Amino acid sequence: MSIQEQYKKRVRELLSSGAVKMVIGYQAGTTADRRRPLFIRTPEEAEKLVLDSACIANLSGYLVTEGLLSDEKSVGIFLRPDGIRSINILAAEAQLNPEQVVILGFDGNDKEVTALQGEKARDFSAIIASIKEHAPEAPRNPQLEQIEKMSPKERFAFWQAEFSRCIKCYACRQACPMCYCRRCIVDSNQPQWVNTSSHTLGNLEWNVVRAFHLSGRCVGCGNCDRACPVNIPLRLINAKMAGEVLGAFDHFAGMSETQEPVLASFKKDDSETFIL
Amino acid sequence: MAKIGVFICHCGENIGAKVDCTKLAATLGEHPGVAIAVDYKYFCSDPGQESVKKAIRDNNLTGVVVAACSPRMHEATFRKACAEAGLNPYMCEIANIREQCSWVHNDPVQATEKAADITRSMVEKVKRNNNLQPIEVPVTRRALVIGGGIAGIQAALDIANAGQEVVLVEREPTLGGHMAQLSETFPTLDCSQCIMTPRMVEAAQHPKIRLLTYAEVVGVDGYIGNFHVKVKMKARYVDTESCTGCGDCITKCPNKKILSEFDCGLGKRPAIYTPFAQSVPNKPIIDKANCTYFKNGKCKVCVKVCQLNSINFEMQDEFIDLEIGAIVVATGFQVQDNSVYGEYGYGKYKDVINGLQFERLASASGPTSGKILRPSDGKEPETVVFIQCAGSRDPSKGVRYCSKICCMYTAKHAMLYAHKVHGGKSNIFYMDIRAAGKGYDEFTRRAIEEDEASYLRGRVSKVWEENGKLMVRGVDTLLGIPVVIAADMVVLATAMVPQPDAKDFAKTIGIGYDEYGFFNEAHLKLRPVESSTAGIFLAGACQSPKDIPDSVAQASASASKILALFSKEKLEREPVVATNNEATCAGCWGCVLACPYNAIEKKDIVDRSGKVIKRVASVNPGLCQGCGTCVTFCRSNSLDLAGFTEKQIFAEVMGL
Repeated sequence: MSIQEQYKKRVRELLSSGAVKMVIGYQAGTTADRRRPLFIRTPEEAEKLVLDSACIANLSGYLVTEGLLSDEKSVGIFLRPDGIRSINILAAEAQLNPEQVVILGFDGNDKEVTALQGEKARDFSAIIASIKEHAPEAPRNPQLEQIEKMSPKERFAFWQAEFSRCIKCYACRQACPMCYCRRCIVDSNQPQWVNTSSHTLGNLEWNVVRAFHLSGRCVGCGNCDRACPVNIPLRLINAKMAGEVLGAFDHFAGMSETQEPVLASFKKDDSETFIL
Repeated sequence: MAKIGVFICHCGENIGAKVDCTKLAATLGEHPGVAIAVDYKYFCSDPGQESVKKAIRDNNLTGVVVAACSPRMHEATFRKACAEAGLNPYMCEIANIREQCSWVHNDPVQATEKAADITRSMVEKVKRNNNLQPIEVPVTRRALVIGGGIAGIQAALDIANAGQEVVLVEREPTLGGHMAQLSETFPTLDCSQCIMTPRMVEAAQHPKIRLLTYAEVVGVDGYIGNFHVKVKMKARYVDTESCTGCGDCITKCPNKKILSEFDCGLGKRPAIYTPFAQSVPNKPIIDKANCTYFKNGKCKVCVKVCQLNSINFEMQDEFIDLEIGAIVVATGFQVQDNSVYGEYGYGKYKDVINGLQFERLASASGPTSGKILRPSDGKEPETVVFIQCAGSRDPSKGVRYCSKICCMYTAKHAMLYAHKVHGGKSNIFYMDIRAAGKGYDEFTRRAIEEDEASYLRGRVSKVWEENGKLMVRGVDTLLGIPVVIAADMVVLATAMVPQPDAKDFAKTIGIGYDEYGFFNEAHLKLRPVESSTAGIFLAGACQSPKDIPDSVAQASASASKILALFSKEKLEREPVVATNNEATCAGCWGCVLACPYNAIEKKDIVDRSGKVIKRVASVNPGLCQGCGTCVTFCRSNSLDLAGFTEKQIFAEVMGL
């Protein structure tokens, strides 16, 4: 039985037993190589489920839809390891109760996918730990390496050019599982820290603010990058920040449900003098 | 419509020499919303303040900007003046054109331009200031004194005698501290125990003092007026309620060979003991590490002899929680371990002792009943060499500071030795004689002139044993000759050092400390008894080396500060605290973690039926110190700081 069929069976079981009230997965998209999210509420609907190497979107953001988990019932969700890390972060930031999330884990490359054993986010901690361990030797994005070689002036010009295309549609924000705030800082206009109009300065401000808000939280799922209608390589800036945080604080986002946010926690025995 | 008054101070020549204040006033006078802009020589002076008040009344000002020195200097002054003129004090802001402008620039034209920018930016801020009211927090009128030495006892008695409750915590089994170990005290030579023990008894019997001995403070939470303190009551294995202190167990304990800490290792004590005969409370404890029963499971002699069944080997450490309004830290000092000075032979030769050990020898309650006898063979020493600064003022092996008391106690030791051993010869190696204090120089002169102490200005390079004598080689720098003295005993004037766990303890209670581990005062000159944490005060040698008069004076000063605090029903606090917009808060709790003062709690928002709709962060204004860490962390921009709101900061930046 293919992994897709195995998981269809599992979804039917979960729904018919009442273990979950809904399963969030993938279905066929508008073109052959695209998938769109599927919200399965009855065992019959499981038939539409598609699970293959084209299933790349991180679906975890749907879990923080207002009211979805407030009835304390469980929801099943198809997640790759990066999505499972997102669950850990959302749990650590009190946005969801990880006990309510039944994970249908899978992983793979651009050809095939394999099932991951486990159900709760914590069951996957060994996999996540090994990703962290192998992070330094993982192949680096060639474009990122190229940008790192630039002088600060060139780099600034590069990002300025990239961000000049931004149309402030905030698709990156909507696609990102970490952007769950009810009111985003850009929507705050008393005062208006970030200009809403799409000019160079405002665009730079917005994208830099987002990069900082994602430092130590981005799992590199690429949702923002894929959502961007003008193809700004957002993944690069987030990957760079993730690398900085890992190097400086040994912090790899989404290691556990109780991981403290890197920019909000401090240790009294920190060697830095700014801590009393 | 804003009506801002701008008051530009020349600060004599400090600002006036570099900034064209008249031009600055004219420039600011044209800024939108500025009703009046004037300059004056000294606005902080009485007529200066009066002119500000008059301008507020005459022009119905809605806000004031004083362009002058740093707000640390005169913000309070001008806010008070504004309040007197009927304006909310938080509608007054200081534009710092002295430290941040005139003092650091040379070009008058550019300095004037910069001063205008700084002042304009503050005008823009003040336009968005809000009336703020001081926050009132209740005060728990109960003081905690940590440490039962002379400083702690003095502070406790002063507070208790004023009618306020005190909890006195001492980690040793008895009150007394180091002072109880001393023989006579300089400069009057009155017996230390004779003046100390009555105070110990007074503290123990005082109806307003709750005494907790053999107890340690293990946690302090909360803030001025409202501290929550956790105290560990260490198991004594003796029930202090039923024990009468008859001492039968002490006499019968078969294990009597333990070196007495109180006698600095010169005497012995049993495993069940009181540190000294006048201990308060006079109830024994069992030294678990040395007790035969705890080691082998057999003995229980003390249980058999105790007629009141007060011995309880099952006793456990207990924890008690206290609500406290203010704290005096009086945790004292230790003497440096002299074994770092191999050349002096401390620890190698029995007759090389430190100053505290000499105190025990000279004390009537000590191991020799006050006779000066050498530890090795119990003979009276005919020649004694005293080495001052054994550790103090020595950056290489000891400590850089002067321990302050050693010059005096060495002179005292020489005197006591002369009084007790007639014909005894004392030689004192010294660097300088530091005898500043009432009656102190007279005292050292007396040691030299009447008691014939021989002072040699110079250092000792080596002490070694030869034919039953301790040979001390040093130099007399005044004569410029090397000297070798054959002595029977050598006394080292050891440096005073902080308690070994002082730094950890400072972290536990949340106060600052210096490189050595002495606790930091808020201001060395103007706030010497306050710690940097509001509501926590310092007394005695835990802050710096001190003698008894200084420790007592500081303890009384701390007590008076606390009594002033307790004289009010409620405390007023600056209203510069964070507030949270519960509608936009995402409840991520990053601020809860980021807050260094534990001032942010999680709050449930419930509907009418009591169902939790969402959980948000809630700032406790009593705990919040207004540091703004949470504001910078908050991604949804829900947290804001009163007095420094984002609106104000934004306007300030845009005004530049």
